[in-house]
Amino acid sequence: MTPLSMRGDTLRFHLLALALLVLLAGPYTASAADTPRIATVDWTIAETLLALGVTPVGVAQTDAYREWVGAPPLPDEVADIGLRAQPNRELLAQLSPDRILISPMFSTLQPSLERIAPTSTVALYTPGSDLWTRLEKATREIAAFVNREERADTLLASLDAHLAELRDGLSDATKARPLLVVQFMDARHVRVFGDHSLYNAVMQRLGLENAWQRETNYWGFSMVGLEALAGLDDARLVVVDPMPVGVEERLETSALWQHLPSMRRDDVLTLPPVWSFGGAPSARRFADNLTQALHEAPRTAAHREAPDA
Amino acid sequence: MRDWISRSLPFPHVVMTPARLCVLLALACLALSGYSLATQLPAAQWAQALFVPDERNIDQVLTHYSWLPRWTISLLAGGALGIAGVLMQQVLRNPLAAPTTLGVATGAQLALLLATLFAPGLLVLGREWVAVAGGGLAMGLVFALAWRRGLAPMVVVLAGLVVNLYLGAVSTTLILFHQEELRGLMVWGAGSLSQNSWDGVLYLLPRLLIALALAALMLRPLAILELDDVNARSLGVSLRHLRLLSLGLAVFITACVVSVVGIIGFIGLAAPAIVRLLGARTLPQRLLWAPLLGALLLTTTDQLLQHVSGALPTMIPTGATTAALGAPLLLWLIPRLKLGGDRPQTAPMLAAPRRRHPMRLQLALGLALLVALAASLLLGQDGQGWALPSWSVWQATHEWRLPRTLAAAGAGTLLALAGTLIQRVTGNPMASPEVVGISGGTAIGLIGVVMFVPGVGLPMLLIAGTLSALATLGVLLLINRRSGFQPERVLLTGIAITALFDPLRSIVLANGDPRTQQLLAWMSGSTYYVDTVLAVAVAASAVILTLAMQSLSRWLDLLPMGNSSARALGVNVDRARLALLGVVALLTAAATLVVGPLSFVGLLAPHMARLLGASRARAHLLAAALLGALLMVLADWLGRQWLFPQEIPAGLMSSLLGGAYFMWTLRRL
Repeated sequence: MTPLSMRGDTLRFHLLALALLVLLAGPYTASAADTPRIATVDWTIAETLLALGVTPVGVAQTDAYREWVGAPPLPDEVADIGLRAQPNRELLAQLSPDRILISPMFSTLQPSLERIAPTSTVALYTPGSDLWTRLEKATREIAAFVNREERADTLLASLDAHLAELRDGLSDATKARPLLVVQFMDARHVRVFGDHSLYNAVMQRLGLENAWQRETNYWGFSMVGLEALAGLDDARLVVVDPMPVGVEERLETSALWQHLPSMRRDDVLTLPPVWSFGGAPSARRFADNLTQALHEAPRTAAHREAPDA
Repeated sequence: MRDWISRSLPFPHVVMTPARLCVLLALACLALSGYSLATQLPAAQWAQALFVPDERNIDQVLTHYSWLPRWTISLLAGGALGIAGVLMQQVLRNPLAAPTTLGVATGAQLALLLATLFAPGLLVLGREWVAVAGGGLAMGLVFALAWRRGLAPMVVVLAGLVVNLYLGAVSTTLILFHQEELRGLMVWGAGSLSQNSWDGVLYLLPRLLIALALAALMLRPLAILELDDVNARSLGVSLRHLRLLSLGLAVFITACVVSVVGIIGFIGLAAPAIVRLLGARTLPQRLLWAPLLGALLLTTTDQLLQHVSGALPTMIPTGATTAALGAPLLLWLIPRLKLGGDRPQTAPMLAAPRRRHPMRLQLALGLALLVALAASLLLGQDGQGWALPSWSVWQATHEWRLPRTLAAAGAGTLLALAGTLIQRVTGNPMASPEVVGISGGTAIGLIGVVMFVPGVGLPMLLIAGTLSALATLGVLLLINRRSGFQPERVLLTGIAITALFDPLRSIVLANGDPRTQQLLAWMSGSTYYVDTVLAVAVAASAVILTLAMQSLSRWLDLLPMGNSSARALGVNVDRARLALLGVVALLTAAATLVVGPLSFVGLLAPHMARLLGASRARAHLLAAALLGALLMVLADWLGRQWLFPQEIPAGLMSSLLGGAYFMWTLRRL
């Protein structure tokens, strides 16, 4: 009996030592060992993963991600798994990720992707809920899948603090002017971002008013002709790049555009491109771009208030 | 005809004429426009806003630079399309010829897509010119294909249809892979009349005046085209040059309109057709009333739309709406439309010498199909490049490759059978499953479900698709019951139903909903969403139906001989047609649910079978079925490998491959 129990004790000791060793080594190796390998079809999820310090093994349409989302940059080793709506399953199976993340608009993919790896849906754009709340929840959900809960808390807290800081830096005069955030589709049509859009959520955090109060679609924008912007007299236009090719030239000769109130006051702001349907990283970049443009703008526009205003 | 329309209006004793209809519409249009302008600006300021707008009064600015140019351009565009439609219908002697059926609009769209992606500098030089060049090239292609046949009307329409499908497939492929870059063009493609300066009007007006003057000069020679080819030729008219000139003029007009406001559906088809129905028989009459009616139709629609869509978050482009509104009108008109018999038929069925031993052809096709199936199952790429066939690769991939290959083969067969049936029943080489509208109808139902029920699963999609296919079939039967399922009418109904699908698609695309990616993928005919059970079911039913179809071969041999001959040989013509149409509908619905509405194979496979010499119904059916399967399997495999890891949907791929082949053979005919 005794030798046996002795042996048991040694075993227990060894196990304990091993556990200790793992615990000690934990902080150094956990990021490699504990992080599941994730593949995703959704750029917003990819963006959030990268912001959490996790490199996904596969992302859909990597070239288009680099062009339209851009930051955080996607490392070269990330595999392109094909179209967002039809990720290449043979390739996915070969990559054998630990988990596949999709968004609700690709929910038809779930049953077949489930056969490759556990597939989870992270919903950011869902009607009827506050976008910022959803964004925080989605970020935490994504973080939970990759064991980065604390990192998510830090990320969100720093984003909140950053936005608060930016808000305090804006003058009351700036905040008093409602903004109209648009993206040009062609020389005659724009997307106006309103309720339930990422841009709108960021503007709320910055204490800025959105001039576009009309109903918006699932993704928080309205598709309108340029004439729809004319009635909003005191709104300041914010154009988010990229401009489609040739539009700038055509706007030069567009009488209506030249006569828009914001254009005549010469206080139209132009922002560098930011993924319009993005998550926390896009929100931060949009906030930075917007406040920077607002800080630079008043000097040129203040003394040029419309003569009849 | 005229009585029908008059009787359905509130004043049954007044005979409706083009003039009266135009006056009625003009009154409605003026009332609507006046009301809309009054809500925009007090009447006292109208004159000022028109001539010297106060630049600081935003309402006057809006009226002067947006409302008025839009109103003017809708009149101009509608009128222009009316003229283009009259010219084309006259030249092609086909009441269904329209600016959009010659590939002009799709050609212009493709040119703009390509320029946006690969040569943006051209757009700065002028979008109009890119569009005109694209439309012109597309038309040039159509003419080149029909040249050997002296631009015979039937061949031109057929070539136009094929070019349309082909360019459409190329555009869809580009949109699928470059959705973000091309989103602006989606708006344009749906035909928005929104204006923000007078530039568009100033561009369109002089061009239209020149075109109108040319059309007036050509009145007399054009009227000769009413005669059949032999008579016209005996009067010393060079038919080829005359057709070329007048079609060229119509295309120029269309391209101008398309480049300024995008694709405006239906007006070019409807306006000439309606004035003709109302009794405008001679060419000068039609050239007078069709543009007027077209202008009024477009402007009235646009005015109504501005009232309705003001409060909606989605934009509803006018071009797509005229198409959507026009489709029911067309459906209503079809039972009342006089077709054929009016003027002499000229084009014979396309045919090739009959083959002595169809068995050899079938064997060769069967062998080719086996090779294609093996390639599709065993050969493929992975992350490291091409993988040699091996047991481990097969284990890893059969789960994904087998259902897709089976489904492609099955769907291809079903479509080929449906195409063979419909081409033989109607004696019309233009006919194909998508033309009878079942594909379009199914697609409408599926789009509705995807757009309005978020996060819907595959079973629900299947049910919705089946229901809408059946509903479409119901509409088809209901409308054609009275005419005894006359082939032309059935085709016409199908085109009208399909015309209802296109605008829906355009509206969805124009609003840039990111969900469109999935829709696009499905609409382009992808085998991606097929699971094993469905694939086996489709493949099995394809085999069974191919064999069962052999029993219909007597009908299929006799019906193309014409009603009286078939009846004399003891066929109950109406019942046979009804039965065959039912079979076509079911075949198409099944295939559409699997690979989407883009069923180019249904047009292609029966054709190729015929060109390869399978002319008797039995041989034709079998050869077409084998060809259909072969085409689809090849298309599916190539689509999966070409741009790996991105996938080109099988439907698109088959259009790209098959369309090229088809155009080549058409040229040789």
